[in-house]
Amino acid sequence: MIAGAQPNGPANAALRSLLPVLAVLVLIALVPLLSPSNRFLSLAISAGINVIALYGLSVLFGQTGILSMGHAALVGVGAYTAAILSRDYGIGFWLALPAAALASAVFAMIVGIPSLRVGGHHFVIMTFAFGQLLAIVLTNGGDYTGAATGLDLTGPVTLFGADMSDLTRYYLMVVAFVAAAAVASWAIINSPYGRTLRAIRENERLAASLGINVGRHKIGAFVVSGVFAGISGVLLAHFLGHISPTQFASFPSIYLALMVMIGGARLISGPLAGGILVAFLPEVLNLDPVQSRIVYGACLIAVILLLPEGLIAGAVQAFRRLLARKPKQEREDPDTTCTTPSEARR
Amino acid sequence: MSPILEIRGLSKQFGGVTALSGVDLAIEEGEILGVVGPNGSGKTTLFNVVTGVHKPSGGSVSFRGHDITGLAPHAISRAGIGYTFQQAMAFAGLCVLENVQIAGEHVRVNAGAGQPWSTPQALLDFVGLAALADERAGVLPFGSLRLLGLALALATQPALLLLDEPAAGLNDRETAALVGLVRQLPGHGITVCVIDHDMKLMQMLCRRLAVLDFGSKIADGPTGAVLADPKVLEVYLGGDL
Ligand SMILES: Nc1ncnc2c1ncn2[C@@H]1O[C@H](COP(=O)(O)OP(=O)(O)O)[C@@H](O)[C@H]1O
Ligand SMILES: [Mg+2]
Repeated sequence: MIAGAQPNGPANAALRSLLPVLAVLVLIALVPLLSPSNRFLSLAISAGINVIALYGLSVLFGQTGILSMGHAALVGVGAYTAAILSRDYGIGFWLALPAAALASAVFAMIVGIPSLRVGGHHFVIMTFAFGQLLAIVLTNGGDYTGAATGLDLTGPVTLFGADMSDLTRYYLMVVAFVAAAAVASWAIINSPYGRTLRAIRENERLAASLGINVGRHKIGAFVVSGVFAGISGVLLAHFLGHISPTQFASFPSIYLALMVMIGGARLISGPLAGGILVAFLPEVLNLDPVQSRIVYGACLIAVILLLPEGLIAGAVQAFRRLLARKPKQEREDPDTTCTTPSEARR
Repeated sequence: MSPILEIRGLSKQFGGVTALSGVDLAIEEGEILGVVGPNGSGKTTLFNVVTGVHKPSGGSVSFRGHDITGLAPHAISRAGIGYTFQQAMAFAGLCVLENVQIAGEHVRVNAGAGQPWSTPQALLDFVGLAALADERAGVLPFGSLRLLGLALALATQPALLLLDEPAAGLNDRETAALVGLVRQLPGHGITVCVIDHDMKLMQMLCRRLAVLDFGSKIADGPTGAVLADPKVLEVYLGGDL
């Protein structure tokens, strides 16, 4: 093996991409001191739960280059796992986490299998169909899945004996989960495994010629994204106390894809930015649901056309250009650079 | 000594097109073998079938005595066969150093012990790309991209390296540099098989040539003798010899 013989320089550069995210999360954790409204906290909790799923989606889309328009279905698998475990076995939040992560990972693997044969737009459409299919199955699952009405979750979420169901406490817990998701995603991106996924994104044929088992690693990326989705689903189910099939059909999936694209799938700050932006934009602009869909559609087109790396990367580039008046940098992964620190963060 | 790679009766059809028909070829340990032939004679297909990109329609390939016929490309790479593509390619969006890191991270067997590059940086030094380590592969000039392709294949620590037109598109200076590199490889335990139709290049590199025409091998032997063979001259008459 050729060793990745690198002193701690590049590791520091990589760490520097994580620190701003953690700093922002610390600030976000301090928000309850301002006694925000319950409405704000609920919105923030939903956004945070999405961000956890987005960190998984960013491994799949940002690193491996596979776009899934069925990701909400994997969140749904996690949510229904939590609800059914709670109803049938009285299993609470914490034990539901690993179980749901496993269930979503297995479903993710199944969604991923067609990606070995089908690529590009065709695969995107298949993942879309998968999301719709899951909603249909859940709707027709009779009493077991609660049909169209869905399932209720009872039983409080407790941590070391403390009741976490209180909105502020649940908010803080979600922020902690978001931080864990960001760190996990960052660790994957900056590992040899992350490099392998990027190699597949860049050129499958070349990757295979260098000994990379492309199929296995694609499935692996799905499994990783499924684990994040499953955990996100458990948090969602226990937060809402009630889940139903439409929450996990195609439109929520499109929203997730939209969020990760708007934020920037390759950046460690992207999922956080995208999740917050999409959740709070209608609130800030005071839009009704129809208007907000129109705005999202316009945003998506604008981002795809103007800022293919997402808003954050676009802003960073614009900022650098303003500072240095340097010509526009072409596509690069700002968070996964293998270069010297000065090069990495100029 | 038994050959490092033994190809027997290898055939490949694409629909109605016969790209290879019953090719026998043995590559001896430590040599630089040249494979020449007109455009469309099946040279690239030969490499693609050996490296698992295409499944053969018939015949077999064995590497160091093990049957590797029809294995997947990643398995062939891990067995110790490196491959550079006719179209120069790298991971365009990643930087040069990361390209080489990736290529060295999936090695199974240390097929080519005793190679002088133990780190990605050392390998970049060897091919002369050390100064470009931090550049994105996608912005490299074409000659450097070819060298990076070679570095990627070398990073997998192959015992056998297949080069498909490695000098295509290179200027004279770049070609000379490439020849200098390839010539060193047998000394580091790497057997080489190179495709090109530039006969000057082949004469510089290879003591032995095999000639393909319409998917069949029509000549195989010492370079001088093959180039004097009337059958070969006929194939190349007015062609690119
Ligand atoms: N993937 C493919 N599908 C169909 N036909 C192919 C394919 N690859 C090669 N061929 C055909 O096989 C023949 C040999 O091509 P190739 O091996 O590329 O020749 P060379 O490398 O000697 O120029 C040509 O007729 C070519 O059109
Ligand atoms: Mg060819």
